[in-house]
Amino acid sequence: MPFDAERDLAELRAAAAESDAHHELIPRITWPEGVRLAVNFTADFDAMLLRRLMNETPMQLAKGEFGGRVGIWRLIELFDHHNVTATIFTPGRICELYPEAVRAAARSGHEVADHMWEHRVPKEPELERDHLTRATEALTRTAGRRPVGSRSWHTLGLMAELGYLYNSHGSAAHGPFWEHDGKGNRLLNLPFHYAIDDAMFYSFAWLGSENSAQRITDTDRVMDLWWDAFERQYREGGYLNICLHPFVSGRALRIAALDRLIARMKERPGVWFPSCEGVARHVIATHPSTRMGVH
Amino acid sequence: MPWKQGYTISDEIGLRDGEIAWPEGKRICATIVVDLSVALSPEGITAADLKTPAASFAYHDGLDGLLASLKRLRLRATFAVPAVIAAIRPERIRAIAAEGHEIAAHGFRHEDVSGLDRAEEKARMDRATAILEEVAGQRPVGWYSLPRQTDRFAGGTISPHTMDLLIEAGYAYFGNGLADDIPHWWVTDFAARRAILALPYYYHFDDSFFCMFPRKGTGLEHPDSLFRNWRAEFEAQYRRGRHFHMVVHPQHVGWCHRLEMFERFVSRMQSFPGVWNPTAAECAAYWSKAYSKETHLKLAPSIWQDHEGSLS
Repeated sequence: MPFDAERDLAELRAAAAESDAHHELIPRITWPEGVRLAVNFTADFDAMLLRRLMNETPMQLAKGEFGGRVGIWRLIELFDHHNVTATIFTPGRICELYPEAVRAAARSGHEVADHMWEHRVPKEPELERDHLTRATEALTRTAGRRPVGSRSWHTLGLMAELGYLYNSHGSAAHGPFWEHDGKGNRLLNLPFHYAIDDAMFYSFAWLGSENSAQRITDTDRVMDLWWDAFERQYREGGYLNICLHPFVSGRALRIAALDRLIARMKERPGVWFPSCEGVARHVIATHPSTRMGVH
Repeated sequence: MPWKQGYTISDEIGLRDGEIAWPEGKRICATIVVDLSVALSPEGITAADLKTPAASFAYHDGLDGLLASLKRLRLRATFAVPAVIAAIRPERIRAIAAEGHEIAAHGFRHEDVSGLDRAEEKARMDRATAILEEVAGQRPVGWYSLPRQTDRFAGGTISPHTMDLLIEAGYAYFGNGLADDIPHWWVTDFAARRAILALPYYYHFDDSFFCMFPRKGTGLEHPDSLFRNWRAEFEAQYRRGRHFHMVVHPQHVGWCHRLEMFERFVSRMQSFPGVWNPTAAECAAYWSKAYSKETHLKLAPSIWQDHEGSLS
């Protein structure tokens, strides 16, 4: 195609405008009285499901299985010990694999939220609806409460229609923001960043990465990085979402490191450890979207 | 649909810390595995692999240094030995066994068996077992399938038949299971409760992935991270009273500063009271009796269903 500056600019302007229309940032989040920083501990409880979906080897599945047999129990115990209300993003099918663990998380008062039916979102709209419906029903049945949050690539309008209050996905802003689909639907997003995700530092071949791209490292280094993230957000008075995986962070050395990290965070006044739902309900009530929409 | 097959290999909930006890009131079980493979590809050890400087180091200078460290520090280890290495260097293997270390099997040539048919895998396993029995003077009771540095994944490769063949061949344990951090039962048949004991393995405690990984010369050198992983895991598992394991290779950990680091770690480990340092075979023998599959394997009846439009 011959060079056409105006055409290129028009195309890029439209893309940037679409992005801006999609993301409605909340300039200054205020938290409940006395709270300076909200920290969400989130755990993606996919165990071996994603490994299976990616058709990985038996040993990769076994590595994931650790999360269901051992890791999830240790995380629940760790969060309970520190009075941290965590959010466990759980694929619907995990209810058939590890129902006891899902029930235990709910019994401890943690939020059990959606993480897709089998860790994928089908392209076909009807099948997508079927999957999210199945996941929602399975989680409701097992955890005893209908999920209001998701960490997924599900269609915003579908999530809103099924009563979801938020999605926790992507890193378009440091803190909660509103997402709009351009069709009048909106949903709150509680962003997390891959740099605050245990799998990025500890899980070999994460998301199909090559051997030369491995960055597996030790807990001392990761805790130093995450402490800096905490310090920064604490100073700013913001939000921090820490993404864990039971098959990764459930390993004894990492539970010990997280135990120290949480203890250190708790030494600071004004740190709030609610579930994602807790954050979402607060933001929805106090920082509603200022744009028109059906919701 | 059979029991969660294709997803899980064992029961739904692992043993809690309080349920675990070691012989004579010991606090933790710590095993050291020395991998004597220098394989660089799924083929397993090739003629070219044996001609590299690293291979020469692995079977002479590096191994001498590591054995001397183990002896001086009074540690016992399990050597995962590819049968071809035992056949080529029988004196070396016998000398290792004479020091009180265990000789376990590590494939015929540490090959990737995942694509083999059952008959060929069995033929290779039988031959490997026979060679190791002849060289070491007793039949190996443990079988390893440790990862190679060039593997796509860091867990080792097996075929759908491996565990069943190991049970058939009378092996007491499989050396590198990733589903728990203590010994656990790898179930091959839910209805019959057919299972083999798997000993824990995790690549964060294996020097392969921290010493010039993924390739000698251009790889990343992070033995300090490995040291911190060993230290953190050992201390955490010590507090819990569970199990600690490490996997080392003479060509990696045997080199100079890394051997220094290895000695620093194991000396520290030994300064803790109540550390039980058996061979993997002794650990497996204890576990199979104290936590037999008949008494401790709790397989929940499957509530797994097939759903239209989903993975089966």
